[in-house]
Amino acid sequence: MSTVSLKNVKKIYEGNVTAVHGFNLEIADKEFIVLVGPSGCGKSTTLRMIAGLEEISEGDLIIDGNRVNEVHPKDRDIAMVFQSYALYPHMTVYENMAFALTLRKVPKDVIDKKVREAAEILGITDYLERKPKALSGGQRQRVAIGRAIVREPKVFLMDEPLSNLDAKLRNQMRAEIIKLRQRIDTTFIYVTHDQTEAMTLGDRIVIMKDGYIMQIGTPQEVFDHPQNIFVAGFIGMPQMNFFDAQLNKNGSNYTVDVYGVNVPVDEEIAKQLAANGAESQPIVLGVRPEHINFTQGSNKSLKGKVSVCEMMGSEYHLHVTTADKDVVLRVPTQDLPKEFANGIPYGVEINYEFRPSCMHLFNKETEKNLI
Amino acid sequence: MPKGRTLEPRSKALARQETISAYLFLLPSLLFFITFVIVPMFMCIFNSFFDYTSTSFSFTGFDNYIRMWKDPVFIKALKNTVLIVIVSVPAVMIFSLWVASAIYKMNSFALSFYRCIFYLPVVTGSVAVTVVWKWMFNKYTGVFNYVLGTTGVIDQNISWLGDERFAIWCIILILFTTSIGQPIVLYVSALGNVDKTLVEAAQVDGATDMQTFWKIKWPSIMPTTLYVIVITTINSFQCFALIELLTSGGPNDSTQTIMYYIYYVVFKLDQFGYGNAMGVILAIIIAIFSAIQFKFGSQK
Repeated sequence: MSTVSLKNVKKIYEGNVTAVHGFNLEIADKEFIVLVGPSGCGKSTTLRMIAGLEEISEGDLIIDGNRVNEVHPKDRDIAMVFQSYALYPHMTVYENMAFALTLRKVPKDVIDKKVREAAEILGITDYLERKPKALSGGQRQRVAIGRAIVREPKVFLMDEPLSNLDAKLRNQMRAEIIKLRQRIDTTFIYVTHDQTEAMTLGDRIVIMKDGYIMQIGTPQEVFDHPQNIFVAGFIGMPQMNFFDAQLNKNGSNYTVDVYGVNVPVDEEIAKQLAANGAESQPIVLGVRPEHINFTQGSNKSLKGKVSVCEMMGSEYHLHVTTADKDVVLRVPTQDLPKEFANGIPYGVEINYEFRPSCMHLFNKETEKNLI
Repeated sequence: MPKGRTLEPRSKALARQETISAYLFLLPSLLFFITFVIVPMFMCIFNSFFDYTSTSFSFTGFDNYIRMWKDPVFIKALKNTVLIVIVSVPAVMIFSLWVASAIYKMNSFALSFYRCIFYLPVVTGSVAVTVVWKWMFNKYTGVFNYVLGTTGVIDQNISWLGDERFAIWCIILILFTTSIGQPIVLYVSALGNVDKTLVEAAQVDGATDMQTFWKIKWPSIMPTTLYVIVITTINSFQCFALIELLTSGGPNDSTQTIMYYIYYVVFKLDQFGYGNAMGVILAIIIAIFSAIQFKFGSQK
């Protein structure tokens, strides 16, 4: 069992600067939690408070039912992988991995067995006698992970472990972390600013901004039902399109007026709007690029001129200008008309429609989802 | 590859031009170094093989080198010098590391204050510092005798610099206080530069503060330690001003050091050849000590 509970945890620095505001989170045993958000959102500070490297200003941190606010990092039974790897430069890979166990006076044969097992899992057996400076970035990363897994800790903390790697290696290591997680099966808390890492690794994602939690949910939940404009814009690539629009209520039906075009709201969404008592009001309409269809033109479609057409292999990313606003569409290559098989040139006018079931309606004032 | 062929001679000419410029920039300091360091060094070695006084200059081979090992004053000076090195080098290193560890995390005001206090003896002229120490060690008016006398530790005043038992230790104490300034400043800087994430990683790995210090910080500051040891060793071997100003090697050669004895032999007894031979031996001893320290330090 290794549950982690953060109850109203705050971090206030000197000069009354609050980095984390009342953080509440219950992490189940063997759960993989990802804290994600832009720089300065407080995700690393939260992780460091869990590790014991930052003092908790207010609130309670409970690991396995024990309040550990004042417990020294060494006594929390946690392991951490740092962004900079933090490998001890004067020690060999073997010594780095064995360090924590040596401090705990674990018998040498047990240390040797554990280090070699971890090295085998991570494919670094050949480098055990090397010093960190003789390793590549990817190999160092593996050693840093190996150093953590030999400990068999209650909680495994990772602070942006892949951000120093190049794109290809990052993808490879991401897949390896997923495999590793299946093997070692413990509680993970992972910090990243990369939404792809968050979506692919996390059982649940905690999206943070300016020290506040914006949303907690499974990757599918935060993608399908973002609770506010920030989450909607942060999760998804390319980013969700936002339009200033007007929600109109006609009896039990709703329509959205966007740039003079009346778009009917999906029946399910309308039901929920009605249940929430939504009235006619100015709103921000959010539609993901993959939920905009390229059409021939109808009374529900909007018009726009192509400004950029990016070939992505299996699809095109079309940047279309409608009423001076850049709208992005993801169009599968085979969906393009034959005459535009090699992309749509600049200035061509096209029609597009929103998929009604995939529209997100946000209150303009509070920026919260109306559903 | 016509481009490559045309570029190669041009780049060679450029490299030659750069080399010539570099040597021209080096030339003034190189001339100075050769004139005032290299030439005197070789003259010293050369003269050491001669019976060279103000009245004679005759080749004697290794006589000077053989003579010094039969000279009881040289042997005593050598013993004293080694004692000074053996005591002051570890003392300076340990004390400055201890002070630096205590102050390096302090706020900038406190840190500057302590650095200033400990560095003060270094920037103060050695004559001024020695005069104050001479007064403190004075048998009749010195502060040491006053404090020890009034607290009942001693019945009679001690002649600190006039007593064979104490004089060398007084010299070591003064040398210690004037030697710690630079190591403290260096250690404060080195400890401040230790990668913070390594310390944090060690804490998470389960290291106590003491283990973090010895297993993470200590290896990280090893280059500084090596520098401190080598510099303090050389300074201790070359201890001269204190002896000259306080005891002139006495009483009964109990504070005689090689450096001071060389000065005495050359400038008081006019035996340049013999003095040069001792200078060569001193240089060899320092080189051996430094080599051992470098070897040991780089292995770490």
